[in-house]
Amino acid sequence: MIVGERKPFEEIKESLRGYKKVLILGCGTCVSVCMAGGEKEVELLATQLRMANKLNNEDAEIKEATIQRQCDREYIEPIMKMIEECDVVLSMACGAGVQMVSDFSELIPVMPGLNTRFIGVADGEGSWSEKCRACGNCVLGEHAGICPITRCPKSILNGPCGGSQLGKCETDPNRDCAWALIYDRLIKQGKLDNIINIAPPKDFRTQDFPATQVNEAYVKAEMEEVHSQ
Amino acid sequence: MVEAYEPKVVAFCCHYCAYSAADLAGSMRMEYSPNVRIVKLMCTGKVDTLHLLKAFEDGVDAAFVAG
Repeated sequence: MIVGERKPFEEIKESLRGYKKVLILGCGTCVSVCMAGGEKEVELLATQLRMANKLNNEDAEIKEATIQRQCDREYIEPIMKMIEECDVVLSMACGAGVQMVSDFSELIPVMPGLNTRFIGVADGEGSWSEKCRACGNCVLGEHAGICPITRCPKSILNGPCGGSQLGKCETDPNRDCAWALIYDRLIKQGKLDNIINIAPPKDFRTQDFPATQVNEAYVKAEMEEVHSQ
Repeated sequence: MVEAYEPKVVAFCCHYCAYSAADLAGSMRMEYSPNVRIVKLMCTGKVDTLHLLKAFEDGVDAAFVAG
């Protein structure tokens, strides 16, 4: 999932200064799970803003809404009327959601309420870690399901380097060496021979941006349906 | 004449202990300040930051959780 964290309150307050009708728009998928921009966080922020406005004698109407996903037009369209009634939208989605809502609202500015951090997993309650850099050419199959691109600070494909010490990385004693993890898991899988394979230099052109993807079979079927009507 | 400051207090009370205690106090004809408004919860484990913030937003001066 996409992991994000809420921007500092002062920064959010400053970005909304002068607007009289504010819509705080939550996103019910990734950022909801990482407790940064879901329905509950929207309510909390709205309450904080109302109290701050009252204390500063500022008059602004704060509205709240949360949709299932801000990166999908079918969820944005039904709330367009609500968006159009506001002066500004504070989107609590990841960067993709903010841009999607902004593309729809156009005349109404959309402010980001979160900082988008990474693609990751939940390690435990309240903690997440990065697992994927979306490099566009997955090498997890050769590396026992542990990504050296993401989890090694050097992103080296032929590791470990000389900075691997007792399973930890030289950059941080609390950080596991990705290549030590790969080594240990390859032993468990009986595939330690994999480690002597030399990986060629990675073609980072697969990490193009902005990247796009099209499911041609689906698009073709859609086109055919439109033409048949 | 200046009116005396009367703080508004909300109490989030557990059904099984604090609320029962308040109930018992009532049946014993004991009195507590009318400034305190009790909200009964099935368990104070239910109390969320949001409940407390909403109470402050609605103008209470203090909130306490008893359970």
